[in-house]
Amino acid sequence: MLRRTISVFLVAVVAAFALYWWLTAPTALALPAPTRAPDLANGQELFNAGGCSSCHAVPNQPDRLKLGGGLALGSPFGTFYAPNISPDHTDGIGRWSEADFVNAVMRGISPEGTHYFPAFPYTSYHLAKVDDVRDLFAYLKTLPPVSGQVRDHDLPFPFNIRRNVGIWKLLFMNVRPFVPDAAHSAQWNRGAYLVNGFGHCAECHSPRNLLGGVIASQRFAGGPNPEGEGWVPNITQKGLGSWSEKDIADFLETGDMPEGDSASGSMRPVIKNLAQLKPEDRAAMAAYLKSLPVDGPTPPKRKPGGD
Amino acid sequence: MKRILVVAGTLLLGAGAVMAQQQVAVEQDNLMRSQAKSMYGVILKMTKGEIPYDQKAVDAAIASLEADVAKIAKTFEVNPKQDVVNSHYGSSPKVWQNKADFDSKIPPVQKAIADVKGKITDVASLKAAYTAMNDRCNDCHETYRLKLK
Repeated sequence: MLRRTISVFLVAVVAAFALYWWLTAPTALALPAPTRAPDLANGQELFNAGGCSSCHAVPNQPDRLKLGGGLALGSPFGTFYAPNISPDHTDGIGRWSEADFVNAVMRGISPEGTHYFPAFPYTSYHLAKVDDVRDLFAYLKTLPPVSGQVRDHDLPFPFNIRRNVGIWKLLFMNVRPFVPDAAHSAQWNRGAYLVNGFGHCAECHSPRNLLGGVIASQRFAGGPNPEGEGWVPNITQKGLGSWSEKDIADFLETGDMPEGDSASGSMRPVIKNLAQLKPEDRAAMAAYLKSLPVDGPTPPKRKPGGD
Repeated sequence: MKRILVVAGTLLLGAGAVMAQQQVAVEQDNLMRSQAKSMYGVILKMTKGEIPYDQKAVDAAIASLEADVAKIAKTFEVNPKQDVVNSHYGSSPKVWQNKADFDSKIPPVQKAIADVKGKITDVASLKAAYTAMNDRCNDCHETYRLKLK
């Protein structure tokens, strides 16, 4: 009897582990053949829209194109350290293939086939067009190599088990590509693509659940700063209703707000990136943001005292 | 009786300390608001054409900024450990964790103000001055200013 119990138990353990292994397996993207040569100008535009520099540039130095990484990113799950994505052959992405890069950005999978943690916003980047990601890769290759490995993330168990991210992806990441909405203008669709894809605005401007997934019904409604201090503002019309489309576009360029103030905190480096965009791309983002519904997401309750 | 006195005294002292800290936070907030008034209420509005260019107002705003910025290090000496009640912005605790770094951000602001002082004559030069000064404000706000709601 005891032997039977043990064998049933062992079979259950093996089955559970097999199920876990199957559920958490990284699924790579099959890369279609390129249809054109890389467009470096487009790659640069998307580099700025994607805010790569805000996390991956070496902190405390002025050159935003030195992508040696090292910035610490706090979260309720531990501290992440942005890796080196400069074209350095040993410490950066110099030896990566295009397929490696596309899978990293759009699926959150490393060249070794492990999951990246979703501090890297592939949950937004998956909306990108493959050709755009190719252009971005070609552009990154033109930047100066920076040597130096970045330290490992500082995450307590069980958050440090990369395989678990597979479950997280099943729960909180969809991999449907961006589909333009025919009911809206080309400008609005360009804005929707930039805001939701490369811009990954919702990654900070949305509240998250206990497991760190964005609460879909409250997308763009803001919430407590995941880094620990302060509040991220609501950027639906509930928060920005008094701003005109032009106010929003101007803000994205200069950080100046119509009520007489200037962006601060983590938004400041974002403005530095967006200021480099083509004016028509900022206008497109503004057109899309201005259309976010007033009655859509409900802002989460704030703790008394505002912290 | 003695115990009641001690307890009451402690409570009073405690309440007094909390009020004093709120007072510190308010003073810090007021100093920053005064600069915001010059920077955004006067200068930014003029660069956008929302109010007409007025040389006297520009010179007054620059003079006021110069005086206010000189007070920052001293006014922010003490950590009030609380935010101004109902305010939308506050100071990050990092100000007092890295006070030397915080203070090191001030001289560049003063230099930016000194560089433009007396040289603003029209909307174009005002615009350039605004950006030059505001960029230095931002170097500090990026790390040390918090949005609270």
